[in-house]
Amino acid sequence: MNGSRRLPWDWYHGAVPENVVIGARSWIHSSFAFLHHRSEQPEAIVLGDDSGLYWGTDFLTGPLAQIRIGKFCTIVGAAFATNGTISIADYAFVAHDVTFSDGPVAVPPEVSPADRGPTTEIAENVWIATRVTILGGSRIGQGSVIGAGSVVDGEIPAYVMAAGIPARVVAPVPGAP
Amino acid sequence: MSDEEPFMPGPPVPENARVGEDVHLEHTRDTFSRFFGKSDPALVIGDRTAVYPWTNFSVEETGVVEIGDDCIIVGTVFMCAERIVIGNRVVVSLHTLIADCDFHPVEPELRRRDAIACAPEGDRSKRPPYKSSPVVIDDDVEIGVGAIVLKGVHIGAGARVGAGAVVTSDVHPGAVVEGNPARIAT
Repeated sequence: MNGSRRLPWDWYHGAVPENVVIGARSWIHSSFAFLHHRSEQPEAIVLGDDSGLYWGTDFLTGPLAQIRIGKFCTIVGAAFATNGTISIADYAFVAHDVTFSDGPVAVPPEVSPADRGPTTEIAENVWIATRVTILGGSRIGQGSVIGAGSVVDGEIPAYVMAAGIPARVVAPVPGAP
Repeated sequence: MSDEEPFMPGPPVPENARVGEDVHLEHTRDTFSRFFGKSDPALVIGDRTAVYPWTNFSVEETGVVEIGDDCIIVGTVFMCAERIVIGNRVVVSLHTLIADCDFHPVEPELRRRDAIACAPEGDRSKRPPYKSSPVVIDDDVEIGVGAIVLKGVHIGAGARVGAGAVVTSDVHPGAVVEGNPARIAT
């Protein structure tokens, strides 16, 4: 970032907010992602090294929100609508049109309840397929895969494939250690 | 109309796209931002077909997308590594996704290697191989809002796919399917 909070390739007139930390060699599509970023936390969003946040990724954060994304994560297009904590560990794949939301209704923070939201934890090496919704308080274990269009509400163990609404374990992940 | 200025600056219509007569193509900065198709053509859009701005052609080097005549493509992400073929008079709604490939290996260790290769400054030539299987959508099919059509699926003529359905297996001609995974509606 080197002083200027402006992204050199940005088509939008904004800048990266002061309480967003972007790791080395990481990339974010535009400051447009922070149009509805309202978190007042000192390090509200921390993106690790070598991670990419692509077109369609948006942060709709309330004043208490904290988001942690690890290294080597590919976030193709996810909305983070939270006033709680969302953490995604290293090597995650998050596909198009994924939603992380404190509850089943995701709205911008200006019209959200002010209460502290839940804590959502995605372990290392997880793959979340297209158009999945992850509801607040969910936990997904290491190496697991969530199938397209699923809604995760609760706990998914490590090294499983889960799918459906709500997401259920459908098979072990092949090649699990 | 295909050479019209995009709404936001972005890649132009690729030279290896074959765009038919009277096509309405509202492309944006994202429509072709992940178009890497090397075949000629790697994209065919038939006569009088309309493609609206929420559409994205994520076509890998080996991918080919063929869309027939008189189709309405409102807002679809095409994720294509091999072949996606859409017939004539097909309507594909907003927020849909059609993929002929999973794009990542399911095995955790291979997936970790893929994550490193896919980093913004990663070496994409080190990506592990992944499986693909063509998607074929026949004439007069309607695909509902938010539906997802996955690899290897053949949707028969005149079938209807309900809103939010996740289609993982073939749909017979004229059938109506709904749900995740999609099943024949009763």
